[in-house]
Amino acid sequence: MSVDDTGRKQGFFQRNKHMALLAPGVVWMTLFLVIPLGMMVYVSFWTQTTFAISSDLTLKSWQTFFASETYFGALLRTIRLWLTVLALTFIIGYPAALFIGQFVRNKTTQTILLVACVIPFWTSFLIRVLAWRPMLGKEGAINILLQKFGLIDAPIEVLLFTELSVIIGMVQIYVVFMVGPIAFMLARIDQSLIEAARDLGASGWTIFRKIIFPLSLPGVVVGAIFVSVMVLGEFATASALSGRKVNLLGNIIVTQVGSLKWAFAAVIGVILTGVMAVVITLLLRVVDLRKEL
Amino acid sequence: MNQPAMRIILAIYVVCFLAYLYGPFVVMGILSFQQGPEGGPQFPIIEWSTFWYQQVMGIAPPSRVAPLPIGEALARSLTLAFATMVVATVLGTLTAQAFRRNFKGSGIVFYLVVLGMMVPGVLLGLGMSLVANQLGIQRTWWGTAFVLHVVYTFPFAFLVMLAIFNRFDARIEEAAWALGATPMRTFRKVTFPIIFPGVLSAMLFAFTLSYDEFPRTLFTGGPDVTMPIAIYGTFSVEIHPNLFAFGVLTTLFSFALLTVYGLLMTASVRRAQTRATGLQEDIA
Repeated sequence: MSVDDTGRKQGFFQRNKHMALLAPGVVWMTLFLVIPLGMMVYVSFWTQTTFAISSDLTLKSWQTFFASETYFGALLRTIRLWLTVLALTFIIGYPAALFIGQFVRNKTTQTILLVACVIPFWTSFLIRVLAWRPMLGKEGAINILLQKFGLIDAPIEVLLFTELSVIIGMVQIYVVFMVGPIAFMLARIDQSLIEAARDLGASGWTIFRKIIFPLSLPGVVVGAIFVSVMVLGEFATASALSGRKVNLLGNIIVTQVGSLKWAFAAVIGVILTGVMAVVITLLLRVVDLRKEL
Repeated sequence: MNQPAMRIILAIYVVCFLAYLYGPFVVMGILSFQQGPEGGPQFPIIEWSTFWYQQVMGIAPPSRVAPLPIGEALARSLTLAFATMVVATVLGTLTAQAFRRNFKGSGIVFYLVVLGMMVPGVLLGLGMSLVANQLGIQRTWWGTAFVLHVVYTFPFAFLVMLAIFNRFDARIEEAAWALGATPMRTFRKVTFPIIFPGVLSAMLFAFTLSYDEFPRTLFTGGPDVTMPIAIYGTFSVEIHPNLFAFGVLTTLFSFALLTVYGLLMTASVRRAQTRATGLQEDIA
């Protein structure tokens, strides 16, 4: 009887082992990821008065958003800034990744170069942002150097507390997320493919266009996803490097929460989620993330 | 494309690229030695001094510049990062283990988990504080912020472990079972040693991401601040070079952490090699 019992018990465990492995993760994500996001959508339809919020459903917060020049402008500014940073991280990051992944054939050197790119990532994100201030200011390092070499007479003032400074800072912070995945894909390219193409008389440019670039595309997409997600949700860099002049959607959420305008913050959150969902869906059309692992 | 010429051009480019990445750090490092407490966070250096380092360590004489509110915040951040690391790595390993077999709905579960790292911190922080408000739960760094830290780092641990298991030869485990080892013993003696480097990487990811996490904690951390929130607090007021000194010190701390990781990694690889050669000698 007891033998039978243990047998049945083990059978039960075996049958449900798979569920037991999956359950903790799925439950955690449902409780603390799906429900909060759902709550955000729900609250965006609540009624917001100056001092209180009630759960009577209304579209008022949504109307305020699209009617307001400031808020709708912030949406456009966020999208513009995101596209600029995304393009720049790609343009600046790709050649570096190309060198690391294709021109350095020694594995150790490759690793050293990649680690060198990642090291800045090991300092607190906020301090990395702040470090740009003495770099870009009117009496900052860049202006001092340029003046010393006689390249400019008067300090460039647009460097700090403008949209440009936000872009410079964000590109430096996020470019690593573009370089890593691209270099990884480039390093995986089978060299015999390139040799074969060369033997068949293909020029360097043709090889790049027809072989190297298409094979590195999954890396570009993964990098683009990383950069997009981070830039679209940004607010700290914008407020620190623009002197609170550049307001992104993230900044508005922070301000609204600060003044307890929950419904309104939720509206902006839902809009941001929508933008993000469209971007990620489009990017995932290009590459299947699961297959690339 | 002329190969050698291209190589040189790109090499020069990479040097410039690294200069761009490191420029602010160099400037930060130089300015952290600014004279104190009168010197500001800009050039020129009035006089070299270690005043700001002393202030961060809490051994400088009191001055008009308030010291950084670190101490307790640092302790909180480390505790939080440690707890997050443990939970995220366990969850990541369990879920990745489940993914070794194909099952119905695996696509949905995969994207559900990966969503955790894709949703910006602002949104998750906002959502969680709304839930906390609704349920009347107090927002604390060890409660509402902690669960979000796990939501954020668990996907990273999961992806690392998934990549490890993808290259894992299941026949080794089957051999252990065939030889009569219990599942627990197989996991302890066979599976775990093989996946250990992956577990270590997952832990490293989770720890550092949580330690530096900022937007999620900003909304859900409550009145007791963690390290990044304490730094964020200095944004609104004037910044002083003590922040730069602190930045240099945290970077050194990160290096120490990386070194420990590297040493553990090398040790684990070496142990595996010794065992393998020992086995070969036994057979011979």
